[in-house]
Amino acid sequence: MSEPLASPVSVAPPEGWSVSALHDPFEAYVGPLFERTEADGSRIFSFIADARHVDETGAVHEGMLMTFADAFLGGAANRAAQGDCVTLSMQASFLADAHVGDIIECRTQIDRITRTIVFVSGRFSVHDADVMTATSLWKVLGAR
Amino acid sequence: MNPSPVDTSGFGAYAGPVLRAADGGAFLFEIEEHHLNGAERLHGGMMMALASIVLGQVANETARAKSPDAQVKPLSLNCDFVSAGEKGDKVEGRADVTRATRTVLFISGELRVGTRILMTATGVYAIKEQDAA
Repeated sequence: MSEPLASPVSVAPPEGWSVSALHDPFEAYVGPLFERTEADGSRIFSFIADARHVDETGAVHEGMLMTFADAFLGGAANRAAQGDCVTLSMQASFLADAHVGDIIECRTQIDRITRTIVFVSGRFSVHDADVMTATSLWKVLGAR
Repeated sequence: MNPSPVDTSGFGAYAGPVLRAADGGAFLFEIEEHHLNGAERLHGGMMMALASIVLGQVANETARAKSPDAQVKPLSLNCDFVSAGEKGDKVEGRADVTRATRTVLFISGELRVGTRILMTATGVYAIKEQDAA
C-alpha cells in the first residue's frame, strides 16, 4: 500500500483516537478522519466538524456526512469482502444537525454479504445522539 | 452570461465550485485531482456531495419561489452509482421537482458526462419557514 495522503489542515485527534491512514485524495482533502477500536474489537470512525464542512445554516453539510459514510461504510465492505468494493447505492436519512466543533462518530454493520454484493449500514452520532443513518450496497470487484 | 457558483457555503465552496448558468439550466462541475478516490475515479462521496448540492439548490429555489424566507433541510437522499467519473470530466447536473406539498419536496435528479449517466438521485426535503424555529 502506498504512503497515506496528508490532509490540508492538521487537527489533533480527540483523546483515545488516532488519525486514519487515507489513500483516497478526496478523503484526505476533507480530513483528517479518525478511528479507534472499541473494547469489543469493533472499529469506529470520527471527524471533528470545522468551517470547511458546513452548509449556509452552519449545520454540517449532508454532502460531507455522505462522504464520511462512503469512506467508512466502504472500508467495512472491503474488510468483509477481503477485497476492493465499489459503491452501487447509498441511502441516508438525516435525523438531526451537527455543528462546528462536534465529533461525529460512525459505527458500521455488515447486514449481509453474498459473493458479489455487500450490504452495509451505518449509524452516525454526536455524543450518543444519532444525526444520520445510512444503508448501502457495494459490488465486490472481480467477483462474478 | 458566465455561469456563477451555487452553494457557496463552507462545504459547497470547499468541495466545489459547482456552477450554474444564469438562465437556470444545468449545474456544472469539473473533476479535479483532489476529488478522486484511490483508483483515480471521482470519489463516491464527492459524487453524492455534488448530487446533494444540485438537488438541494432546486429544492431551495422551489421553496423560495413560494415563500422568500423558506429554508429547506434534507430528510433523505438516495444515490445510485451508475458509472464512474474521471479527472477532467465536465459533469452536468439536473434536478426536477417530482411533487411539492406544503411541508415536503420530492426532488429527482441526475449527474452525467455528455450522454453517460454517472448517478441518479432522489431526495426528500422538509420546508421550514425562517421565523417558525
